Amino acid sequence: MAGDHFIVIGNGPAGSQAAFTLREKAPDAEVSIITREREGCCHSHLLPKFLAGTVSKKDLFAISFDDYIKKGIKLRTGQSIVNVDISKREVLLDHKEILPFSGLIIAVGGKPRIPEPLLVFKDLLYPLKSFSETTIWQKKLLNVDSILMLGGDLTSLAVTKALLTLEKKIYFMLNEDAFWPLRFNKTLYKEVSRKLTEKGVEVLTGLKIKSIARISEDVCRVRIDDQEIEAGLIGAFFGLVPDVKFLVRSGLQIDRGILVDEYLSTGIEGIYATGDCAQIYHPELHDYWISIGTKNAKALGRLAAVNLLGGMEKTKVSKESIFDIDGIKVNTSWWSEF
Amino acid sequence: MHFNNYYFIFKSVKRPIFYQLIKPFMKQKMKDHVVLSTEQEDFDYVDINVPCQKACPASTNIPAYIQALSDAQYDTSYDINRRSNIFPGVLGRICSRPCENLCRHGEDELGEPVNICHIKRAAADFRDKDSGSKEIRLPDCNKKVAVIGAGPAGLAAAHDLALNGVSVTIFESFDHPGGMLRYGIPEFRLPRNIIREEIDQILQLGVTLKTGIKVGEQVTLEEMQREYDAVLIATGCYKPNHMDIEGETLDGVFMGLDFMIDVCSEKAPTVGKRVIVVGAGFTAFDCARSALRLEAEEVMICLRRTEEDLTVTEDEVFQAKSEGIKISPLMLSRRIMGNHKIEGVEFVRTRLGETGKDGKQRIVPIEGSEFVLPADTLIVAAGQGPELMNCSNQQIVSAEVETFKASTQGVYLTGDYLTGPTTAIEAIALGRKAAEKITRDLTGKHFREKAVRMQDTTITHRQRSWDFIPRQEMPTINTVEDRLKDLTSEVETGFTEQPAKEESKRCYLCYLHYEIDLDRCIYCSYCIDLAPRDCIKLVEEIITNENGAIESLKETTSWKNVNAVVIDNKRCIRCGECVRICPVDCISVTKVELEEENIACNIACIEQKGCNKN
Repeated sequence: MAGDHFIVIGNGPAGSQAAFTLREKAPDAEVSIITREREGCCHSHLLPKFLAGTVSKKDLFAISFDDYIKKGIKLRTGQSIVNVDISKREVLLDHKEILPFSGLIIAVGGKPRIPEPLLVFKDLLYPLKSFSETTIWQKKLLNVDSILMLGGDLTSLAVTKALLTLEKKIYFMLNEDAFWPLRFNKTLYKEVSRKLTEKGVEVLTGLKIKSIARISEDVCRVRIDDQEIEAGLIGAFFGLVPDVKFLVRSGLQIDRGILVDEYLSTGIEGIYATGDCAQIYHPELHDYWISIGTKNAKALGRLAAVNLLGGMEKTKVSKESIFDIDGIKVNTSWWSEF
Repeated sequence: MHFNNYYFIFKSVKRPIFYQLIKPFMKQKMKDHVVLSTEQEDFDYVDINVPCQKACPASTNIPAYIQALSDAQYDTSYDINRRSNIFPGVLGRICSRPCENLCRHGEDELGEPVNICHIKRAAADFRDKDSGSKEIRLPDCNKKVAVIGAGPAGLAAAHDLALNGVSVTIFESFDHPGGMLRYGIPEFRLPRNIIREEIDQILQLGVTLKTGIKVGEQVTLEEMQREYDAVLIATGCYKPNHMDIEGETLDGVFMGLDFMIDVCSEKAPTVGKRVIVVGAGFTAFDCARSALRLEAEEVMICLRRTEEDLTVTEDEVFQAKSEGIKISPLMLSRRIMGNHKIEGVEFVRTRLGETGKDGKQRIVPIEGSEFVLPADTLIVAAGQGPELMNCSNQQIVSAEVETFKASTQGVYLTGDYLTGPTTAIEAIALGRKAAEKITRDLTGKHFREKAVRMQDTTITHRQRSWDFIPRQEMPTINTVEDRLKDLTSEVETGFTEQPAKEESKRCYLCYLHYEIDLDRCIYCSYCIDLAPRDCIKLVEEIITNENGAIESLKETTSWKNVNAVVIDNKRCIRCGECVRICPVDCISVTKVELEEENIACNIACIEQKGCNKN
């Protein structure tokens, strides 16, 4: 392994786990993580609690920068990759640096999904999927009392819970785009609606946004069908989509995510994809699936590293935690309490 | 017309591009003059360095029309377009935009490609429609040509034939001309008045149009052969491909193209609440979006491959999704289920296999992954082929690619009939090429010739900050509900002047060629230090292709090995910073344009033999 340079793109739970596994199993190799984030790897499922003030910043971050240094993993933060040249086995960074690799693990995760009909409003919508987005929410919450929640993904319910502890007025708009990554069904819809109402949330059902106007720094006027409401902050919670657009011209197979087999191999020797950005065909499931959630991400990160080093471990799926969305199965282990 | 102002002789100019590196004496010759070249190396230069024009099947001079629009010269911008592609208003709405895929602004780290297509539409929208055509028709050459099919290929061919002095009659089986533009694309994407206006410009050249005439029924090909000097078949592809699976004859199953023809003929069929569309091209998307307007509640487009393999534009995918259409990848239909009427479709999951000779990855069904989706309407948009014509009891199947000639005497083929289904811009380009071949065969003369035109110029007023202007997106009807009210409201409402000009600023104007005069360069390297991209290089060796065009540069980091400081025009983003910083003013700018002109018309003008061109 001496002389090898393994590059991991992404420093989320999957990417960092992959890097640490590579370091452990290939002690002589050079291991680099390249991430466009400036912060370290954080427990994203704790972000709502951080917002509520019940989790400290220190506890939010899973790995300290010192841990990377101690393990001899080169962590490059704030750097984006714009392309991967699979024939030359190089990655191109946006500041024009070219880095050769002998093995590559792509773990870029997802980016907040905004359904196409709502994209026109995107400048006025605030997702909450990363530490930097959470800090924006924190600042906004100092001056606003009411929040309109759009969507209904797994994070949205945890954020609603956090906002209730902060005694904010919450409007929650439920429609068929809610419940990502679960498919819309009336039973689930009724159950969530009832629970939200019990907690004091004003639920707006079966409606569509017509317009959003920012009338002051801290007030947006939202026209929903025939009614108008004013909210200080509009949260967008429609889940994540794999952030793989930069790979479209690379020659890797891209669909929703990067297409890989059950070993997480892209089919190109020495190039693996893992975590939220990997779209996996699994023979046992007879379908494609994308895995989300910290626990799954870590398991897949480890597995990609093991297989890059010559292992032949298959991904495991628990059928109970698989949900179907847009014809793609989604594996989640953290659809939990509200 | 540029060529009219300068006397030139084709093939007389040697190596004007990079002449300085090879023949320094040429520099003086070029100063203050226009040079026109037909040297292959200069064509190669344009291909390598002006990627958008290279990508356009009709070789539209894209930087020139964008610059004209930026200067508010809307008529000029429209005319530059029309010279190459004949239908700027139409194409500005529905072109497949191969140019944008290769736009330098879309290269890694440079952002999004320029919205070339919608700038074209802006030129068409803003032009003075009353200004009249500037086209010159050559004197009648006493030849008659019948064109069968008034689609984009047939109309483009008729246009060029008419300009060349040929008497043209178009025979069209539908009630209206336009072919796939009129009957394959819904009105909410392409308003009918736009088609009609641009077809009228062709008919105004003296072209006769006979609609409602199906060749083989009201008139035979043999009769046409006798009456005309040549017959051009441009009837396109209207025969839908079937999937040949169980259940295809059930009620509620439509062929995509037939469905669209009915929609475009105001005979729209009734669709169910849950519609599945199988297919990955523009027809599939048009069917899906039309079905939504026919009150389907749920529409899903099912793909055998991935969304990234779609051939439609990103805009089209976005608009479809915005309207609520689901796109579902990696699935292959196995059978259609139901009793008399469709109830569902059984699919199997697919994976992408090895890459075939056509460059596409094979589709491999994954056995055991079958699943059923309920549906009450299925639209199969799996491509189409030509309805073959007969002549003397023989089917006309193919033609020589170079000559467009079928084996039957006096019969030529073009457009989709010749190649199979392509895009409007490809059909237009083919129609024009066929017209040129036919007039050459009939008259023995050459008409259209390509040349590379070079002219010294100064740097533009482009500013570096313009490189960071975000791509201006086409505005649309505000709400989805308003869009879906009917089949005719145009969804894309068009740029106003301000965003159109803003978008045009984003174009790098790749037809500008930047070059360092090595005799005057003092090797200060200021330009290299200032360049925003690695486009100015210390070069040990210049590697040319077999025609002499620069293909690549062998760089060096050691000053003792430097033989030239070269601007790599493949990397250059034409910001002009190097010219502004150069202390000895040794960087020149040349406008290099690939143009196609009707040389017969020019010769006629020069010789003053009957052409009334000024």
